[in-house]
Amino acid sequence: MRLELKNIEKSFGEKQVLKGISISAEGGRAFGLLGRNGAGKTTTIRILMDVFPPDCGEILMDGQPIDYNNIQIGYLPEERGLYPKKKIMDQLVYFATLKGMEKAGAVRAIGYWLGRLGMTEYADKRLDTLSKGNQQKIQLITALAHDPQIVILDEPFSGLDPVNAMLLKDVVKEEIEKGKIVLFSSHQMNYIEEFCDRIAILNGGNVVLHGDLREIKRNYVRDKLIVRSLQADKILKDTSFNTSASENGDIVVYLASPERKQDIMEELTGKYDIDEIKVYEPSLNDIFVEYAGGGV
Amino acid sequence: MKQFITILRFELNSYFKNKIFVGITIFLMAAIAVVMFFPRFSGTGDNADGEPSEISDQGVMIIASEDLSGVQAVGDAFAAAFPGYEVRVVSEGVETVKESVVSGEAQCAFFLTGPTSYTYFVNNLSMYDTNTAIADELLLNIYRINAMTQGGLSAEEASGIMSAVMEHEIQSLGKDQMQNFFYTYIMIFALYMVILLYGQMVATNVATEKSSRAMELLITSAKPTSMMFGKVIASCLAGLIQLIAVFGSAFLFFNINRGYWEGNYIVESIFDMPLELLIYMLIFFILGFFIYAFMYGAIGSTASKLEDINTSVMPITIIFIVAFFVVIFSMTSGNIDNTAMLVCSYIPFTSPMAMFTRIAMSSVPFYEIIISIAILIVSVLGIGVLSAKIYRVGVLLYGTPPKLSAIIKAIKKA
Repeated sequence: MRLELKNIEKSFGEKQVLKGISISAEGGRAFGLLGRNGAGKTTTIRILMDVFPPDCGEILMDGQPIDYNNIQIGYLPEERGLYPKKKIMDQLVYFATLKGMEKAGAVRAIGYWLGRLGMTEYADKRLDTLSKGNQQKIQLITALAHDPQIVILDEPFSGLDPVNAMLLKDVVKEEIEKGKIVLFSSHQMNYIEEFCDRIAILNGGNVVLHGDLREIKRNYVRDKLIVRSLQADKILKDTSFNTSASENGDIVVYLASPERKQDIMEELTGKYDIDEIKVYEPSLNDIFVEYAGGGV
Repeated sequence: MKQFITILRFELNSYFKNKIFVGITIFLMAAIAVVMFFPRFSGTGDNADGEPSEISDQGVMIIASEDLSGVQAVGDAFAAAFPGYEVRVVSEGVETVKESVVSGEAQCAFFLTGPTSYTYFVNNLSMYDTNTAIADELLLNIYRINAMTQGGLSAEEASGIMSAVMEHEIQSLGKDQMQNFFYTYIMIFALYMVILLYGQMVATNVATEKSSRAMELLITSAKPTSMMFGKVIASCLAGLIQLIAVFGSAFLFFNINRGYWEGNYIVESIFDMPLELLIYMLIFFILGFFIYAFMYGAIGSTASKLEDINTSVMPITIIFIVAFFVVIFSMTSGNIDNTAMLVCSYIPFTSPMAMFTRIAMSSVPFYEIIISIAILIVSVLGIGVLSAKIYRVGVLLYGTPPKLSAIIKAIKKA
């Protein structure tokens, strides 16, 4: 299964929100859609979900224009909210039947998910009697109960305690293993790094970075070393190395060229008592700030 | 289509699970039951099945005169005219007569002082005491008959002249506005209340979904047209069911107590509404309801907060209230087919009330009714599609409610 968005453009009034978005995601792998607030993530998601049509561009599923009668999408919106005054079971069944499920099948699937998320006891409660985290778990069921091929999770971890976050991680991993296309949108980079093989960073309606996360990282010039040592002060004073101190106490050693890596490492370990030495790889956070930071 | 039915069922269920909705319906039905059963238990109103009522406490009525000549005949006439009294004819002085009333021996007494004058004695004069009016009539008749017999006519001829009755008959060649007024009024008022109440409910309903952000999920799960039509038709059905429950129970309770209402012109005219008019009522109710509910739904979708609703729906509510007053004033003015009403009966926002009133209270050519309904149907479809478009744009807009021009622009884009 391969989902492709090709050259999607969208304007609201005078404002062009999307200026030609092209991304692709594959089944069985998670895709991270990143970008600062207002970069066009939600608009992209809404176009993908057929809430409104794009001005131009196309959405392809395995090379064919997507057919919303056959492709089911599950969506956990960033702005959470269901019917506060209605019974949880009733509204979950309602949303599942809206997505085309039969009532009996919906009740069965929702029963499974309530059990999976440890929420069975709340089935007959009103939604507004639940805590925020539990409401979020209920909302997650609306995204998963109809067993969609594409799962879109917008900030799924915000507001969850560590135990619930673990639970959600397991659920997301299961969905990925089932071969689904999982689209993540989050500002919590550690979760994206943990799940997503591919990412796209949007900035001002453009895709500024798109590809395999590991490759993106590997393509960075490997001209910095991270050194942890008890003799940090001495190393910093050693004028034979171009160094600077990082915030967490590690030392950054700048290489004249990536080929010098082996020599410098040997020199350092020969001269000083080194606890740890490694080539610097940028974190997703660094990449994000670099690409999404400028000009919105 | 399947989505639409899912939404319709869900929305309709919400109405029937709403305690206030159910409560108000039951309350109205109970109130109508109380009104309709009132004459049966209170004993007022006319007699059931026209049987004369049995008055058990036969009070004593004294007919007194110092001179007994001719009084016996008067006494007989009184006895016939006052079946509830035991009429006694006596020849006593004023003081004795007064005494017997004060002591309670007699309920009342007529002390005749001449052929055309008397004094009526009663302990406490009730507000509804009609005895003197009846007595006046009786005595005057006796006096006139006596005068005529003295003039040479026989007693039969005299009483024949006296009992002559003028017969008359009214034939309204169009509609009888007197008779139609009450049920037209009730129907128009019901239409007004239901559309206003349910319209507001649709608007609030949409705005609640938006403010609780359930909309984020709804809009990605269902087509806006299904949502709009599902909601509006569900509320229309809920309104109809409520109306049928209320009017149906009124009709049922009236028929149970029909005998007790006999002679009550207003109530009888209400329940003798022709079936044809009921069908027109249904047509105009449904179409009128749709046109307003769609607009209310569209307006509701542009509000981000419930507080915004009241100001946003104001223009629609004002159009509707103006239409209502034009109709009511025309009804009471007696000139139903005035220019304002003629114009209003073709404008889709006012025609449900105006045309219905004209059909009920005047003679409208059939083709005019068809034209009015046709305009209404076309407008309902147009406004339905338009409001679904507004809805689609509106539900995703947050912040201050957008200006009309901004919405129109957005619709053109979409």
